[in-house]
Amino acid sequence: MRRDEARAYALEKGLAVREAHDLLHIVLPLDGLKAHMAAFKAMGFNYLADVIGIDYQGYPEETGWEHPERFAVVYELVSLPGYADGDGSRIYPRVYVPEKRPELDTVTDLWPSANFPEREVYDLFGLVFRGHPDLRRILMPEDFEGHPLRKDFPLGETPTLFNEGRYIDPEAFRAGLRGREKGLTGWRGGRRKGERR
Amino acid sequence: MIPEPKELRTEEMLLNMGPQHPSTHGVLRLVVRLAGEEVLDVVPHIGYLHTGFEKTMENRTFHQNLTYTPRMDYLHSFAHDLAYALSVEKLVGAEVPERARVIRVMLNELSRIASHLIFVATGLLDLGAMTPYFYAFRERETILDLFEWVTGQRFHHNYIRIGGLKEDLPEEFPGELKKFLDTFDHRVDDYQGLFVGSPIFEGRARNVGVIPPEVAIAYGLTGGSLRASGVNYDVRKAYPYCGYETYDFEVPLGERGDTWDRMVVRLEEMRQSARIIRQALERLEPGPIRDPNPHFSFPPKELLSSSMEAVIFHFKLATEGFEVPPGEAYVPTESARGELGYYVVADGGSLPFRVKVRTPSFFNLQSLPEAARGHFFQDLVAILASFDPVLGDVDR
Repeated sequence: MRRDEARAYALEKGLAVREAHDLLHIVLPLDGLKAHMAAFKAMGFNYLADVIGIDYQGYPEETGWEHPERFAVVYELVSLPGYADGDGSRIYPRVYVPEKRPELDTVTDLWPSANFPEREVYDLFGLVFRGHPDLRRILMPEDFEGHPLRKDFPLGETPTLFNEGRYIDPEAFRAGLRGREKGLTGWRGGRRKGERR
Repeated sequence: MIPEPKELRTEEMLLNMGPQHPSTHGVLRLVVRLAGEEVLDVVPHIGYLHTGFEKTMENRTFHQNLTYTPRMDYLHSFAHDLAYALSVEKLVGAEVPERARVIRVMLNELSRIASHLIFVATGLLDLGAMTPYFYAFRERETILDLFEWVTGQRFHHNYIRIGGLKEDLPEEFPGELKKFLDTFDHRVDDYQGLFVGSPIFEGRARNVGVIPPEVAIAYGLTGGSLRASGVNYDVRKAYPYCGYETYDFEVPLGERGDTWDRMVVRLEEMRQSARIIRQALERLEPGPIRDPNPHFSFPPKELLSSSMEAVIFHFKLATEGFEVPPGEAYVPTESARGELGYYVVADGGSLPFRVKVRTPSFFNLQSLPEAARGHFFQDLVAILASFDPVLGDVDR
């Protein structure tokens, strides 16, 4: 399986590897991103299924998932079954991008299908892909300011108002749901106990 | 007297098509560079239907998000519900009972048929064939009525819950569905007779918009459009979910990867979907429809009038949701348009930290310039229709 091959390659190069929920995550360095991705392509991962941007600002530290930088870009590489000698392996290499210098290399020259999703990550997170052939906003209007999927981008909602000036602040309400603050009801999102029916 | 031109020349022209144009299947804007009638290049401009679902979903509980998922691909909305539920179920470790899995497969395929009917209807309408449109919509109406009966909604079913289904099927439903399937196969034959072999359709679709398999893969094409190019990649076969591996069905493949293949492959897929539904109907055994784990599953509705505990659980689940252990999950599924999956990041609370939807139409649209270059402008409309884009699926 190419998945095992990719894991062996990552361990040999000293890259961090994590497997959870059937996904193989490989953390690539920002500098050598292009070289490692080219190696994966040469290994037979002929299909880039997705480029996923994640903003880890505010991600709880005690979860066991360490995130050295604020942004992460996760690539989903597939050795496409049904074409050439593809065996259906999927790997999820990722690269962490610092907030101060949000730039990384494009992979559009390896997989042309990265064109749209990289533009999407640029649009919604503000990460610049060096060498991208056509880096423009894709989903938001061209003159839009800011990058909406960043965690610090406001949602633009209004608090629910009641008599005598009482109101529910949506953000405070959701803080309770995130299980880290008290919220409205004080329930901290704990696992419920109850008989299994 | 005007002197005769020494040579004929055409000027390149930029033509804007859309975003409000009947043949763009929604709000897609194409900027086409033309030399006379010939398409030199197409640049798709998307985002006119961008609603920020991904941002909204970060701020709603895992169950509330099931309201948003079907609104992306409003034609095959059941697939979106299913894909999202599968990813979350992987994170919480839910065990979906067999009956729920069978019903999921059954309704998913039914929804796929409805979506393909729209594809055939509107695709042929773009080629100037009016008749199939009305016939296909008649079948689709029956399917939507069936869905309304089961789920209460024609389009945005919201029938799936994390760990199972909202409620059980009505008792008479399998019989009615069987009645529909009895007539369905020869209706598909009828539709096929309406356009396959017609000289107009052959002339407009054969060898138009050819995508070789290597180009299709490089540009991220999936679904029926990829299979039309001869690549045997169907997520239901390659990464089975919901027990698809136990159903007996074939994956129709095209040979040339042109508009003709993309049309006919989906016609054949409808027959295969009907075949899967028939098998699912046979497997329908009585049983539970939800994982009984009270941590994330709603208590049965009939308990709400007798059990205080059930009322509390129901209230807590509906208002505050449930805690999902930290982690990241992705389950690929096959929608009517291609590979669909939700990359869900959970941080331990009851809201998803990040939801990324891998929508097939978004990626399929990248191949459009490759397919349309060098063809006539009127073929561009046919090629676009053959990719079956749903703009809600593209823009999210």
